Amino acid sequence: MATTTATVNISSTDLQPGNALGISASTTLYQTGTTTGLDLVDYGVGKLTEASAGDALAEALGTADTSNYVYICNTSTDKDQYMVIGIHDTVIGNLGSEEWLFMPWNMGDADAEINIEAEASGSITYEYAIFKSTYTLPAKT
Amino acid sequence: MATTNATITINSDITSSPLSISKTMVLKKFQSTDGIEETTGLRTKKFNATTAVEIIANTEGTADKASKVYIRNTGSDSAEFFYVALNDNAAASDSTETIGKLYAGDWMFIPWKATAATTHDIVVAPSTTDEMTLEYMVFQE
Repeated sequence: MATTTATVNISSTDLQPGNALGISASTTLYQTGTTTGLDLVDYGVGKLTEASAGDALAEALGTADTSNYVYICNTSTDKDQYMVIGIHDTVIGNLGSEEWLFMPWNMGDADAEINIEAEASGSITYEYAIFKSTYTLPAKT
Repeated sequence: MATTNATITINSDITSSPLSISKTMVLKKFQSTDGIEETTGLRTKKFNATTAVEIIANTEGTADKASKVYIRNTGSDSAEFFYVALNDNAAASDSTETIGKLYAGDWMFIPWKATAATTHDIVVAPSTTDEMTLEYMVFQE
């Protein structure tokens, strides 16, 4: 059984005057509803060119409504370049240059793919890792 | 201008070559090098029903900018979770749009577009009527 841990530390001495911020949280990534560690992962580096539409970083091909976790980092250092992150037709948010996200992904249905889009111009290099409960490859065409 | 740092660390032995990710970002305003300056502060809320509940209204962010959201399930029962969604009906499958399931100890940190519509309210639905607790925080321009 594999062990995967994800830890976040959020800190600021001046966001809340007189009350320094210090959040620290860590979790072990388990298979759906168990204490058995996830043992499937898909990770890599990609390059995305600005376009009018998004591309699917990952399709919801695994078992629906399971435990999966997504990490994405926009490695651009150009402050004007950001990635639009969404699930199917819903935009979650704009991932700015040098920013990352980490979120669960339950693949609730076949129309729950993770979409990414580069804005506002040029190409953006991104890193990603998707930790999965199940892993179904796209069908051969 | 405030300085807020968020660091993620992921370690995993899923692959034969251990996976190790460590990335720090400064929370910045949209397409800017200036740090974000506003926050809701860290909130804690208890739940004891499976009804979907809005925890963050779209009006708490700045539309189309660089808001960020941190959410953590503080529980310890590995079978219990929260659905987290961008709509008014967090459920296993939903067209607009369930993000995923936060199990005990799980956390998420995402960019949030905070589009000025109820489609971008952040909603959670506990999996059980047992008492469960979330902590969450919004960072915004």
